[in-house]
Amino acid sequence: MMKRRNFVKSLALASAGTPILLNNMKFQSVGKKLFNVAIGAEDRVLIIIRLNGGNDGLNTVIPRDQYSNLSIQRNNILIPEPSVLPLTTEVGFHPVMGGMKGMFDQGKLGIIQNVGYPEQNRSHFRSMDIWSSGLIDNPPATGWLGRELDLSYPNYPTDYPNATYQDPFAISMGYEVSATCQGLMANFCHAVNNPFDVYNLSTSGSVNDGTYYGSHIEYLTTLINQANEYGGQINDAANAGNSLSTLYDANNPLAVQLQYVAKMISGGLESKVYVLNVNGFDTHDSQVIGGATTTGTHADLMKRVSDAVSAFQNDLMLLGLEDRVAGMTFSEFGRQVASNASLGTDHGDAAPLFLFGSCVDFSLMGTNPVIGNTIINQEGIPMQFDFRDVYASILKDWFGVAPSEIQTLFEHTITYHNLFGACAVGTKEEELSQSKALVYPNPAFGNSTVRFNAQNEWVKIDVYDVNNKIVAAVYDGNLSQGQHDVPMEIKTLAPGQYFVRIQKSSGTITTKLSKVK
Amino acid sequence: MPENENGGAISYSMTPYSGPWTKAHAAHLLRRTMFGPTNQQILDAVSAGMTTTVTNLLQIPAVGLPITYHPDETIASQGAPWNTSVYPTDPVESQTVHSARIGSLIGWMYENINNEQVSIAEKMCLFWQNHFASNATFDARATYDYFALIRTYALGNFKQFVKDMTVNPNMLIFLDGASNNPFSPNENYAREFLELFTIGKGPQIGPGDYTNYTEEDVAAGAKIFTGFLVNGLRSDSDTNVTAVFTPILHDTSTKTLSAHFGSVQVPDGGATEYSNYIDIVFQQDEVAKFICRKFYRYFVNYDLTAAVETNVIEEMASTFIANNYDVLPVLLELFQSEHFYDISVRGALIRGPLDMLYSMVNGTESQNAFSLATDYEMQTYIYGVSTALGQAYLEPPSVAGWPAYYQEPSFSRLWMNATHVKTRFDISSFFTLYTGIPVGGDNWKVNALGFLDNLSIPADPVQVIDDIVDVFCPKGVDALQKLILKSILTNGQPDFEWTIQYNDYAADPGNPVVADPVKLRVELVLARVFQTPEFHTM
Repeated sequence: MMKRRNFVKSLALASAGTPILLNNMKFQSVGKKLFNVAIGAEDRVLIIIRLNGGNDGLNTVIPRDQYSNLSIQRNNILIPEPSVLPLTTEVGFHPVMGGMKGMFDQGKLGIIQNVGYPEQNRSHFRSMDIWSSGLIDNPPATGWLGRELDLSYPNYPTDYPNATYQDPFAISMGYEVSATCQGLMANFCHAVNNPFDVYNLSTSGSVNDGTYYGSHIEYLTTLINQANEYGGQINDAANAGNSLSTLYDANNPLAVQLQYVAKMISGGLESKVYVLNVNGFDTHDSQVIGGATTTGTHADLMKRVSDAVSAFQNDLMLLGLEDRVAGMTFSEFGRQVASNASLGTDHGDAAPLFLFGSCVDFSLMGTNPVIGNTIINQEGIPMQFDFRDVYASILKDWFGVAPSEIQTLFEHTITYHNLFGACAVGTKEEELSQSKALVYPNPAFGNSTVRFNAQNEWVKIDVYDVNNKIVAAVYDGNLSQGQHDVPMEIKTLAPGQYFVRIQKSSGTITTKLSKVK
Repeated sequence: MPENENGGAISYSMTPYSGPWTKAHAAHLLRRTMFGPTNQQILDAVSAGMTTTVTNLLQIPAVGLPITYHPDETIASQGAPWNTSVYPTDPVESQTVHSARIGSLIGWMYENINNEQVSIAEKMCLFWQNHFASNATFDARATYDYFALIRTYALGNFKQFVKDMTVNPNMLIFLDGASNNPFSPNENYAREFLELFTIGKGPQIGPGDYTNYTEEDVAAGAKIFTGFLVNGLRSDSDTNVTAVFTPILHDTSTKTLSAHFGSVQVPDGGATEYSNYIDIVFQQDEVAKFICRKFYRYFVNYDLTAAVETNVIEEMASTFIANNYDVLPVLLELFQSEHFYDISVRGALIRGPLDMLYSMVNGTESQNAFSLATDYEMQTYIYGVSTALGQAYLEPPSVAGWPAYYQEPSFSRLWMNATHVKTRFDISSFFTLYTGIPVGGDNWKVNALGFLDNLSIPADPVQVIDDIVDVFCPKGVDALQKLILKSILTNGQPDFEWTIQYNDYAADPGNPVVADPVKLRVELVLARVFQTPEFHTM
């Protein structure tokens, strides 16, 4: 049995059984971490920046060796060749991205080319659901991080926060919690518009009398208490925290939010994930100003992102927090290769994704998209890397989640990428033993898949309910030597606990399956 | 008096309620069918009795048209409607005018909520916006027409409503009906039509078979719905956006439906084929059940237990079918039923953002009445707040509507999270203790004095607190909370001091020296009430 490493491990161990002195402990804990040479995954933080609307990858990371064909496809919006900021002979940045170029040159920013998913959906809603949930065939009822957190903290939000977990597991900057952190029962995100806001919400003495009404009152009272407690923790951290960089621009909303994040992290907040959002990337028209293609909406947005992220990285360096924080950007899709007549671009497919932080151990992953010399109607950039593999690689190497656990969060067979080099704390993907099976996704909302090894033998797979009754016959036949991934049609099963029983000539394997609505 | 007992069996009976008709019962009815009933409206409902009140509620008063108020509108005159005005030719100018019109549309819709009478009209409009969930399209006239259609059929014939909605230009654009033709067919509308608008998706019982319909039916529906184009969008010459049937874009083949619809064939019916198909779908009683479940979850309780299904939904559905899918008789029966007044469903929902916001202003009789431009601007401010809280007209999160109305297991709890709690509390402070919404030198907030003057006995602090709690909290608050509220009202002084203060104010209401302290005390009480968990249920 593999021992699962908790995704979010708080300084809990240090504080369990000892009186809690909030501010003191925070300072001490930060101090301790700063002098801790061998940093594990426990105090690592992930920053997720969502570029909402579909970012035009081809005008962000410009494939320099495709320039002549780009001028055929998108002449009215293309950045003039001399203005492109060269990174390598292959690629260059939009000229407003000087900040991120500096990070790239220092090895603190990596570019993954052509990230997307199979059969890209060009609806904003659907595609954002897919990116937030990491699910394509199943309903996007939970987020990819929410599912991971559910495995570690199955009863959340009941009895949270508590002495062990005083801080929100994740924070989204703004008013809305992030779909990325949606768990089965609740969202693990706490939305923070301004961490210096003081929470002092009143509550009442009403009790749950067992009615619908009573249970709502209890729920609302819990929320109020949670808001007060989390609000207090966040407030304390922000006040205790620091920010040393002079590069933040107070007129750049993303920079303001990232500075808040720096203060919360340096102030000792134990939240593991911060989600930020930048709107406005849906540039169907007026993406650039005609005749001055280095200016316009897209230039303003990319400048905002590049300036804010580089100021934040500078701050992390000055605060001595660089090894603890990594970040990524994503957008629900890229845009089409050819521009349209309104100085804009329409919804496309794959696009580049950025990872940043001093631990990032690659500069450019993947190849430039090949741009044709004739315009093909509605053509997008084909996918080279599946975004779910990027998520999975982050969970494995940044947070140290076991690969067998990660696989249960997703529908597809994961391919890991090495993103963090020496900082990686992930364990190797283990060979599945003959006596084990892995069900994924698990819990399952719709259908699920079971993985196991066979050795050229007869195999019968059935799903049983808790009363030992067969509720689904999955497979009955011969299977060759090696690992098999057999899909199970279980979409219609009622929510509850089930067992998948794999009978083989070489022995029977039984494994649990949770079905949820 | 509010009842807090949780004893006795739950009544699932749909026979008319004949028990005591108290302020608590009347308030329950009005809270579920309106956004923010006032104390007087509740008292009137008590005197009028249940039957008369329900009858009154089930009428849809006429409203005016959205009015031009924003200087960016360059076609329609200021103060005049714009819903049949052309757009400017220049695309940039056209976009500017569009934004002005959407602003006006929002102002108009939220004004309607703020000015609601004793009528279910506004709650029904929200119900249908959620049911036929569509965003604003890029022609505000088409979006207005979509809302006008909703209002027209708010309590009308659902079958005809579906037919009209199917060829509504806003919907044809939103779900790609206008680009659905035999050469590049898409199933967007055909799928949502079955899954969300009419019969609902049952459990999957075979490949592509969802109990009530199959993938074949989706594909057949896509063909049946072909042939409609939308004319006049952003036009500088057409005064209306219209749906036009174009025969060469219609799939004339004979479509065969699945066994769930008796394997019937739908021959080419040209411009009325969609209507023939809808008639076939409506022959299935499941349509009635599907819609009645949505009524139930919206108006009564999220929890569709087996007992509710058997006793309540079945009865509602049979009424719906017996009345050829007229909505009014179903709700007439529901709002008079024993089950609706069963104590178990009182307070069983968490208020949505619009319920919460307009309960504060409407409940305190705070109708803004500045200039039209100011009024609309103030409503668009509330629109922004409602967006932050997760519910704004024209922006349902998906074609399935707001998850709080359908998403198991949390349902209306999805309206609240630790951040929304704080935002709701901040907003309630803003509307009570602080300036309220400022626009051009005017401020709009709760109407503390007007509200107070219309309570039963404003000079009696005990009665004032009782009335306030009756209006805003479905099952009251406990005795200690009432004492706290009263001591806020009286500023910790003996009750008679309040009486003296109030009488001084009543004798000279225009005098700020006596009026302002009274106003402040009521605002403090309201702020506290709006920050109790109890207020956020209904």
